[in-house]
Amino acid sequence: MTLQFGLVTLDILSSWIRMILALGLSILFALAVGIWAARSKRAEAVILPLLDIFQSIPILGFFPFVIGAVYSGPLANAVGANLAVIILIFTSMSWNIAFGVYESVKAIPQDYADLLNMSQASTWQRVRSLYIPASMSRIAYNTQISWAVGLFFLVASEIITVGKASVPIPYGIGIGVSNWGNPANPDYPDYALLIAGIVVAVVIWRFLFLREFALWSEKFKMMEEPRESHRDPIMRFYSWVNHRSISKLFLMTHDSGVTRFTSSISRFGKGLKYSVLIFLAIFLLLIVGSAALSGNLSVSSLPSLASLAYDEPGILYALGVSFIRVWYVVGICIAVGLPMGIVISLNFKLYDTVSPILEVISSIPAPVLLPAIVKIPGVGSNAEVVAAIVIFLSVFWYIVFNVMAGVRTLPGDIKDLPQVYRVSRIAAWRNVYIPSALTALVTGAITAVGGAWNALIIAEYFQASNGTVLTQVSSGIGKDITAATYSVPPNYTTLFLAVTSMTILIVTFNLTVWRRLYHRVTQRYAYNR
Amino acid sequence: MSGEQVQIAAGTTIVTVDHVSLDYHKEKEPLPVLVDVSLTAAKDELVAVTGPSGCGKSTLLRIISGLIKPTAGAVRVMDSEVKGPREDISIVFQNFVLLPWRTALENVVFGLSSRKDLTDVQKQEKAKSALEVAGLSGFESVYPGELSGGMKQRVGVARALATEPKVMLMDEPFSSLDDLTAERLRRETHSLLINPQTSVQTVILVSHNVEEIIELADKVVVLSQRPGHVVGEIKVDMPRPRNKKSDDFFQWVDKVYALLS
Repeated sequence: MTLQFGLVTLDILSSWIRMILALGLSILFALAVGIWAARSKRAEAVILPLLDIFQSIPILGFFPFVIGAVYSGPLANAVGANLAVIILIFTSMSWNIAFGVYESVKAIPQDYADLLNMSQASTWQRVRSLYIPASMSRIAYNTQISWAVGLFFLVASEIITVGKASVPIPYGIGIGVSNWGNPANPDYPDYALLIAGIVVAVVIWRFLFLREFALWSEKFKMMEEPRESHRDPIMRFYSWVNHRSISKLFLMTHDSGVTRFTSSISRFGKGLKYSVLIFLAIFLLLIVGSAALSGNLSVSSLPSLASLAYDEPGILYALGVSFIRVWYVVGICIAVGLPMGIVISLNFKLYDTVSPILEVISSIPAPVLLPAIVKIPGVGSNAEVVAAIVIFLSVFWYIVFNVMAGVRTLPGDIKDLPQVYRVSRIAAWRNVYIPSALTALVTGAITAVGGAWNALIIAEYFQASNGTVLTQVSSGIGKDITAATYSVPPNYTTLFLAVTSMTILIVTFNLTVWRRLYHRVTQRYAYNR
Repeated sequence: MSGEQVQIAAGTTIVTVDHVSLDYHKEKEPLPVLVDVSLTAAKDELVAVTGPSGCGKSTLLRIISGLIKPTAGAVRVMDSEVKGPREDISIVFQNFVLLPWRTALENVVFGLSSRKDLTDVQKQEKAKSALEVAGLSGFESVYPGELSGGMKQRVGVARALATEPKVMLMDEPFSSLDDLTAERLRRETHSLLINPQTSVQTVILVSHNVEEIIELADKVVVLSQRPGHVVGEIKVDMPRPRNKKSDDFFQWVDKVYALLS
C-alpha cells in the first residue's frame, strides 16, 4: 500500500491557491471600502453597519446562492466552481480586514493630512503614499485571523461543492476529505496523511508568509502599539478581539479603544436603516439572479415570504432546534474553556508548553475531522453527538484563546493580589480570576456563537463525494440548508426561508441580547482603569 | 485601631533586610538583579528606597513582602523570617490594583479574606473604619471606576491598613496620580501611617521622586544601577512639617542626587 503524497500535495496546493486569491481579493476590497468609509462621512454611515451585518451572519448559508449564481451558463465548469469557492472564502475574510483599513485610516494623525494638503496631493497620491502604508500593519495583523477563519470556509465550501456531484473541481482539501473519508469507499491512510499535511502546511505558511508579512508591515507603523501581541502567537491571533474588535463596534460600546468611532456610532441608527435595505436588496438580487441564471425559477413565480412560511412551517422548528444546539455546545465550550484558559495563563511554564499544542489542534478546520469523528465507536452513530463535537472543535478556540489572552494581559500586580492577602483558592477564583476573564469570555462567546451558526452547515448534515450521507441530525437549520443545496434542482424556496429566518434571528439577537450583555460586562469587568 | 498591640520602644528595629541578593535565571545565565542589599527600618521610621529605573527597587519591595524569594540572604520582621506573604505586612501598589467589579468597601473586605477569626459583619466594620481613616467615608458602595485616581489610591491604602499590618510597603504610590492629588495625599501620608492610632510600626516607600522622598522619609537608601546594591544611606533629620521651598530642603535633595549620579 502506497501513500499518495503527490495527490495530498496537490490537494493542499490547490486549496492554498484558492485561499491566496481570496486573500488578494479581500485586501483589494478592504482597501477600497475601508478608505472610502474613513474618508466619506456618508459612506461611513452606511458601510460600517453593513460590514457588521455581513460579519455576523452565517455566510456559509449563502453559499448555495453563490454557487447557483456563479456556476451557470458559460461558467458551468471548473472555473465557475473555483470562483464560487473563492467568493465564499472572500466573504469570510474581507470584513475583518476592511475594518482594519478603516480604523487605520481614521487613526492617521491630522498632521499627516495637513502635510498632504500643503503639498496639494491628488487623491491617488494620498491613497498610495499615505492611506495604504498606514493600513499595512493592520492588514497584516488581521490577515492572520482571516486566514484561520478562511480555512474553515474553504474546506466547507469545497465539501459542499464536491457534494453536488455535477460540480467538477478535482483537487482540494475538502475534496480529499470527501473522497477518502467516505465509509463506502474509505482510504484512511491517505485521509490521515491529508490531516498531517494540513498541519504542516499551516505551520510552514505561518512562518514563511504570515509572520514575515507581519514583520515587514511593522515598518509602516505610525504609532506605538503593544509589542507583546506580536511576540506571543496566541495574543497575536486572538487578543485583537479584545482591543479593537469589530463586534465591539457592532455592540456600540464607548470604551476607550473605540472612542474615535463615537461620531460614526451616533449615526449608526440612521445608517442601520439604509444598510438593512441595501443588504436585503443585495440578498434578493443574489437569489433572483441565481435562480434566473440556473433557470429553475422565473421571476414571476418568485413567491412571497408569507407563502413560504405557510409552505414550510418546519423551518422555524428546525431553527429553534439549532438555536438550542448552538447554545448548549457554546455552553460546554465555556464550561471547559474558562477554567482551562485561566489555569493555563496563570502558569507560565504550562502556557509555554500548552499554547503551541492548542494552536496546532485549532489550525485543523473542524470539517476535515468529521469523517474521523463518525468512525469513533459509540459516538459516530449518534448524529447529535457528532454535530456537537464538530461545533465544539470549530468554536472552542475562540473561548479558550480569548480567556487566555484576557488573563495574560492583566497587570502582574492583580495576579499577586490573592497571594498578598493570602486569599483561599476558591475566593481568588471567585473574586479575581473569573471576573477578570469575563470581558474576554463574552467577546470570545460572541465570536464563538457566530462561528457555531456557520459550523451547523457542516455539522448537521455531511455528504461525502459519492452522495453517501455520513451524518445527519433529525432536525436543524443547517441540515435544511445543506440538504436543500444538494437536492437536484436546489430547493430555493427552503434555502431562502432558512437563510432569511436564520439571519433575522442572529441580527436581532446581536442587537438586543449581545449588545446589552457586552455593554454591561465591559462597564464593570474590564480591567483597564 | 490596634488597642491590644504591645507597646514597642522607639528605635526598635522592625524590618531587617539581611544581605539579600536576587538572580533571574534567563537562558541558564544567572542575571543578577540585586546584590547584597542590607537595610533596616525602625519603629516609627519611614524609609525610602530610591535608585535609577531598573535598579530593582520595586523587586526589593516584593522580596520584603514575601512575594519573591531572594536567591541569598533573608528578610526578618521582628526576628521572624519572612517566608511568604503574611498578615503583618501590607503593600500599596503604584496602579492601585483594585478589583473593578467590587465596590470600595468590598475591595477592602477582600483584603481581609484570610481572617478566619472575623465574621462577615466584623470584616465590614473593620473595612468601614479603614475607609474612614483613609478619608473615604460615604464612598463605601462606589465602584473604583467611578472614583478619581487619588480616591482609588485611598481605597488601596484603606485595604492595606485594614489588615492591621506592622509593616506598610508602598511601591511608587503617588506616581500614577496627577501632581495636585499626589501632593495632597503625600502631605497626609506621614501623619496617617506613623501614628500611634494605627498598627503600622514602620513604612518602606519605593520612589524615584527625590523631592517626594525628602518630604516624607526619615531615612533614604540609595541603590545603584542594575544590578542594584546600596550606594549610600542618608538620615534625613529635618523637622516636620517640611517646607519644600526652604534652602535646607534643597540641600537634602542635592545630597540624594549626589548619590544617584
